[in-house]
Amino acid sequence: MTSLTDIEDMIARMAIGDRAAFDGLYAATSAKLFGVCLRVLGNRTEAEDALQEAFVKIWRNADRYRVNGLSPMTWLITVTRNHSVDRVRARKSKMNAGMDEAADVADAAPGPEALAIAASDRGRIVDCMAQLDPDKAGAVRRAYLEGETYQELADHYDVPLNTVRTWLRRSLLKLRECLSHDG
Amino acid sequence: MTDEIEKEDESALTAEYILGLLSPAEAQAYEDVLSVDPDLRAEYAFQTDRIVALTDDIAPVTPPPHVLKRIKETLFHEGAPARSGAGVQSWLQRLGLLPAIGGGLLAALAVLWIVTAIVPPSSGPVSGATYIAQIASADESLVVDASYDSANGNLVVNRAVGDPRPGRALELWLIAGDNPPISLGVLPADRSGRVPVSPDLALSLAGGTLAISDEPLGGSPEAGPTGDVLAVGQIVDA
Repeated sequence: MTSLTDIEDMIARMAIGDRAAFDGLYAATSAKLFGVCLRVLGNRTEAEDALQEAFVKIWRNADRYRVNGLSPMTWLITVTRNHSVDRVRARKSKMNAGMDEAADVADAAPGPEALAIAASDRGRIVDCMAQLDPDKAGAVRRAYLEGETYQELADHYDVPLNTVRTWLRRSLLKLRECLSHDG
Repeated sequence: MTDEIEKEDESALTAEYILGLLSPAEAQAYEDVLSVDPDLRAEYAFQTDRIVALTDDIAPVTPPPHVLKRIKETLFHEGAPARSGAGVQSWLQRLGLLPAIGGGLLAALAVLWIVTAIVPPSSGPVSGATYIAQIASADESLVVDASYDSANGNLVVNRAVGDPRPGRALELWLIAGDNPPISLGVLPADRSGRVPVSPDLALSLAGGTLAISDEPLGGSPEAGPTGDVLAVGQIVDA
């Protein structure tokens, strides 16, 4: 099992150009990060491209990891998720998502490298999301995991753009309030 | 009250930024503040660390092997059939040294042999040295002698010939095995000085290569050299 300290150490060594550390980080985290790419993009080929680009970014920005204050897995997932969202948006501006490939993804089984990263107390967000109105919690998920914009959320929930922004902001504040009672 | 509203704004904006809901202009403005405001950075880290848990139930899926292969091609220019010693060679090649290396490195080694032969082991900074190297450019316009003493963990450097370019610095690199260059730091402005080497890096000195590159004052802004590689030298036992 690879601990968060190990991952932090590998990122630090990558910052000074240590390729063995890159191999270690890839072995430990690529399956989780590929899962994230697949979830956001819903298309295997694109997810592979996104994972490739995300790891290139991770290698090149490893020296800047320290300044952002994030825990190592959070940083890796955030880089990967943000990059996947950028791709999904670029694609949407060209065409509609391929639904048949999305079905293919749903069958993907966890790989043998599945990494047991110590479960954290972050699970709190599940409780806090449950306290939101289901529509609002759904909108948060759509934005985070599918990269939906305010416009897309407005279309989906069939409400004006400003309305969706107002009610989502209110829900985000409620969520933040709940998260701060972390314990 | 105003503080309260500002705090709420800050929280909501942070969440919108993390979810990617801000317009590009808003996101840019947010990032501008984020880079200078530690409180906002703390808020961003707090919320990101928690919102990321929305990915906790995403099952890991092993990516196909060609993904790693493509990443390595992009990052390390790997992909050509590997041979032994290819790592060092490919790095030297990337550093633009390959044309000079046949004669240059051999010449440097020959000079080194002469230097070690004629310099009495007890003289000057070589005393107590574990490893030595002469880092020289092909035309010997830059020559730096280095000796590492494992007793104190210092690399003593003596710039015998040459100066940094005006407004630039000379940075010392260690190339060990297959690894990309690791910075040992900027050479002191004085001709002679000490460069501390951490114990784990010291382990990589044996059989490694030292190189000097031309960099901005303060050293390379990136993980590897950004300017011309001016000189190179093999590390040998003292």
